[in-house]
Amino acid sequence: MTQLGRSLLIVVATVVGTIVAIRVQGEDALHHQLPAPADGKSKVVGLCDGETSVTVTGVAPGERMAPEKARAVASELMDKYDAKLQMAHGGTAETPREMRVWEAELKRVIDDGYKLFHSSELGTNGISCDMCHPDASNTHPESYPKFQTQLKKVALLRDMINWCIENPLEGPKLADDDDKMKAIEAYILSSRKGAALDAGKH
Amino acid sequence: MRKTKSVLVSMFGAAVLQLPSGVLEPTIPDQNPLTAAKVELGRRLYFDKRLSADGTVSCATCHDPQKGFADGRPVAVGIKNQAGARNSPTVLYAGFNEVQFWDGRAPTLEEQAKQPLINPVEMGQPSHEAVVKAVAAIADYGDGFAAAFGSKAITIDRIADAIASFERTLAPFSSPFDRFLKGDKQAISDAAKRGFVLFQGKARCVTCHEFNNSFPYFTDNKFHNIGVAMKGNFEQLAREAQSTAGKKSTESEAALAHKPGYEALGRWIVTRQPKDIGGFKTSGLRDIALTAPYMHDGSLKTLDDVMEFYNKGGEPNPNLDGGIRPLNLTQEEIADVIAWMQSLTDDTGGANFDWDQLKQLSAQTRAGDIAAAPAP
Amino acid sequence: MAKYTLPNERKRREYLAARDELLATLPQMSRRDFFRTAAKAAAAATVAWNGLPPHSFQLVNVAEAKEAGPKFTFAYVSDSHILDKGMNHRFIRACQKAVQDVNALDPQPDFVLFGGDLAQLGRAEELSIGQQILKDLKAPVRMMVGEHDWYFDMGEKWREMFGAPTYSFDHKGVHFIVLNSVIVEDYWTEPKMTPAERMQAMAQLDNPHGRPFTVGAEQREWLKQDLAKVNKQTPIIVFSHSPLYKYYRPWNFWTDDAEEVQKLLAPFAAVTVIHAHTHQPLTNRIKNMTFHGVLSTAWPWPYAPKGLPELTVQMVRADPFNQFDGCGYGEVTALENGQVNKRYDLWDRNPMDVTFERVSKGRKGMEELAALMKGNVSWPSY
Repeated sequence: MTQLGRSLLIVVATVVGTIVAIRVQGEDALHHQLPAPADGKSKVVGLCDGETSVTVTGVAPGERMAPEKARAVASELMDKYDAKLQMAHGGTAETPREMRVWEAELKRVIDDGYKLFHSSELGTNGISCDMCHPDASNTHPESYPKFQTQLKKVALLRDMINWCIENPLEGPKLADDDDKMKAIEAYILSSRKGAALDAGKH
Repeated sequence: MRKTKSVLVSMFGAAVLQLPSGVLEPTIPDQNPLTAAKVELGRRLYFDKRLSADGTVSCATCHDPQKGFADGRPVAVGIKNQAGARNSPTVLYAGFNEVQFWDGRAPTLEEQAKQPLINPVEMGQPSHEAVVKAVAAIADYGDGFAAAFGSKAITIDRIADAIASFERTLAPFSSPFDRFLKGDKQAISDAAKRGFVLFQGKARCVTCHEFNNSFPYFTDNKFHNIGVAMKGNFEQLAREAQSTAGKKSTESEAALAHKPGYEALGRWIVTRQPKDIGGFKTSGLRDIALTAPYMHDGSLKTLDDVMEFYNKGGEPNPNLDGGIRPLNLTQEEIADVIAWMQSLTDDTGGANFDWDQLKQLSAQTRAGDIAAAPAP
Repeated sequence: MAKYTLPNERKRREYLAARDELLATLPQMSRRDFFRTAAKAAAAATVAWNGLPPHSFQLVNVAEAKEAGPKFTFAYVSDSHILDKGMNHRFIRACQKAVQDVNALDPQPDFVLFGGDLAQLGRAEELSIGQQILKDLKAPVRMMVGEHDWYFDMGEKWREMFGAPTYSFDHKGVHFIVLNSVIVEDYWTEPKMTPAERMQAMAQLDNPHGRPFTVGAEQREWLKQDLAKVNKQTPIIVFSHSPLYKYYRPWNFWTDDAEEVQKLLAPFAAVTVIHAHTHQPLTNRIKNMTFHGVLSTAWPWPYAPKGLPELTVQMVRADPFNQFDGCGYGEVTALENGQVNKRYDLWDRNPMDVTFERVSKGRKGMEELAALMKGNVSWPSY
C-alpha cells in the first residue's frame, strides 16, 4: 500500500471509529442487524455498509473502548471491507469452474513443457534435455539469477535453457517470449515446487 | 553504462591507476603496494638493456611498446640471437591475470619479471645476484630506489617490484569498444557489433575468453588444450606424459618450457596432472590486432588463421579440450568477429600512461641513443 | 617380441628406482631432514599423479609395497548410444576417441568389454556404425547388450551381429559371466505399440510408466547351472548392464530380482559385478560382492536423488560446455586375491582409482579417494 493510501486509511479508520462509537452507544439509525458475538460474550462492532462486523474479544457489550483499541477495530473492519472490494468483477472468487480452468491450463502448459523437454525436437543432433536432466534433475531453477560460468555473465533460467539448446543440443535458440520457452520453464519450475529460492547458489 | 571512473588510490594518496566504473581492481601482492615512485623506477628498469648479460636485451626488447608490448615474432629472441620456444605475450593488461606465462608458472608479475633475467635464451644473466650487481653499478638508480623503497639498497625483489608496478599501469581502456561500452553506439561498426554478438553466442568464445563488466579482459585465466602445435611427436610425448608417475625431473619448469618438444606440454609442466597436458593459458583479447602472430608458439599468423583454426574444431589430439568443436561459422560471420576484435585496439595509453612516450623510449634505447630512460 | 610387463611391475620398478635415488642421499641427511624429505616426497607424489599409490614414496612403508599382485587387466568402452546423424556426430566421435585411447594403453589390456547401449535407438545402422568403430580396437572385444540395443527388434540384429547375449568364459583363472539384465515385462503388445514406440519408451530413462529391469527366471536358471560347474574359490566377474542391486527405481538404476541373483553369487569367495547403464562412477559392496559402474562415452547421468550406495565417491558435475566431460572409458585390473582394482579414465579430468584396498576399508578408504578427487574437474569449477 502506498504512503498516501496508508494515511487515507488511518483517516478513514478514525472517522469510521467515530461513526462506530456513535452507533454502539445505542442509536440504531442504520438498522444493521449485528450477529451474535463469535465467543458468545464479547462486543460486536458493525460497519456502516450494513454487512461487515467484527467481534472484539475481551471487551464487553456496552463497554467503551480506549482510542487505540477503537482504531484497531476500525482497521479490522476496513480490511474486511477491502477484501470484499477485490471481488469487484462479478463479486465472488474461486468458483469451482475457475479452479478447474486454472488447473487444466497449468497442466496443459506443464505437459507441453514435459514433452519438449523429453523430445529431440529442440536440437538438431538427437540430444534431448532429459539426457542430462532426467525428471528435470540438476536444473536448479531456484538458484537463478546467478553468474553462469558458461555464459560468463548473470543469467536467468531462460538464458540457460537457450544456452543448452544452442550448445549441447545444437539447435536454434527460442525467443524469450516463445510459448515453447515458457512451457519448458513451466515444467522445470513445477518440478522444483517447494524448493527455497536461493539466487546465486553455485 | 559506465558513468564515473573509479580510481585505485595508492598508499600515498595519488591516483596511480584509473579503472572504468565497475571494473574490479587487480590483485596486488601486499608487499608491493602501487606507488608513483615505483612506477617511475620500473619504467626506467624496463627499458634498460644493461640488465641483461651482454647489455643487448631489455624487457622492452620482447615486450616492445612499438609492437603492442609484444615483439611481432612467432617466438622470442634473446641474447646472442637465441630463439626461445614460446611467443611473447603482451604486457598490456597483464596486471589483471591470475598467473603469468603461457603455463601459469609465475603467480605474480613480480615473479614473472625475475625469470627472463636469468633465462639463458632471454636476458642470460647467470644469477639474480649478477642482475643486482649490474643495476648497482649504474649510479643513477640509487635515488630512484630511495624514492621508491625508502633506501638506496638494491635487491632483486625491489627490482621486480618496480618493474611489476610499472607494468600494472599499462591498462589503457581507450579502444573504440571501450567507448561503445560506455554508451557511444557509433564507436564501432555494425560488423563489429554483430561480431560481439557472435563472440558471446554461436562462436562459443566467451566461455574461455571471459568478458563481463567486472572483468573485461577476455580471459578466464584457465588452461585449455585447443590443439595448437600438434607437431612432430606431440601425441607420443603426451601419452608418455600421461603415463609418467611422479617421474622426478631435475629440470626447472622454466627450462622445460623452452625445451623443444616439451614446451608443447604446457600447463602439465607445472602441475604434472594428466588433465593439463597441452593446455595453455587463455590469452586476453585486448589489442589482439597488434600482437600477431598468435598462440603459444606463434604458429597462427593472422586473425583469419586463428578463426579458421577454431572454426574447424582445433587440431585433434588425445587431450583436446572437450569444449572445442567445429563452429560452422560462415565467412561473413568470421569477418564480423575479426572486425570486432580489431575494435579492441587501444588508441592511446588512456589515463594511465603515455604510450607515445614509451614508443619513443623504445626507439631510442633500441638505437642505443640512450642507455635507459633518464631519471626524472 | 616385446617383453610383456605387467602394469604393476612397471610401477614397482619405478618405485624402486625412486626409492634408491632417495636412499642414496641419506648418509648426508640429518634425522630432521630425513623426515622432512620423506614428507615432501610423499606430498610431491600425491600431487604428481594420483594413479600411483601415495605410499610409494614413503620410506617407512616399504613393507606395505607387497600388496595383492595383479593377474591381468581388461579395459572397457560403454554406453556409446550411437545415432545415425553423420559421422561427425559427437557420440560417434566420442566412441572413436575411446577406441583410440584404449589402443594407446601400454601395455595393452587382455581384452575390451563393451558395456551395452552401443546404439541409441536400436537401429541396424546405429549398431553397424558401432561395430565398425569397435573393430578398430587392437585387443579382442567381449560384447554385452543394453536396453537401447534390444528393444527396437527384441535383439534380433544384436544376436545376428554379436551372438547370444548371455554367456560365460574363463580367462586366466577368473570365471566371467555376461548377462542380459535388461529384461522387462511386456507392456507393449497389448496397447499395440510399434517397434519404434517401444524403443522410444525404453529409451526414456525417467519414463514414469517404465517397468523394472530383471535378469529373469530363465537366465537365473542358466546362471545356477553355469555356477554349479565353478569352484567356490574361483574369482567371479559378472558383466551386467543393469546394476544387479537396487539404487533408484524411477530411472531403472535397478534390477528387480537382484536379491535372487546375488543369492546365487554369494557362496563364491570373490565376486565383482561390472555394470553399465548409470553413466557415472559408482561403488557398492553387498556382503562379499563388489559392484562397480562404468563410464559412458556419450554423456553422464546425474546422481539419483536417493539410493546412492554409501561407498560411492561422486564425480563432480559435468560442464555442459565440454562434450567429453563426465565421460570416458576405463580399466579393470584383476588381482591375485580374486578382487579387482577399478580405474575410471575420465576425459579432461584426472583418472579415478577405486582400488580394492580402498573399498575394503569401507567409508574410510573411500574418503581418502574423495580427498584426492576434490577439485578434479575439467573446468570450470562451480
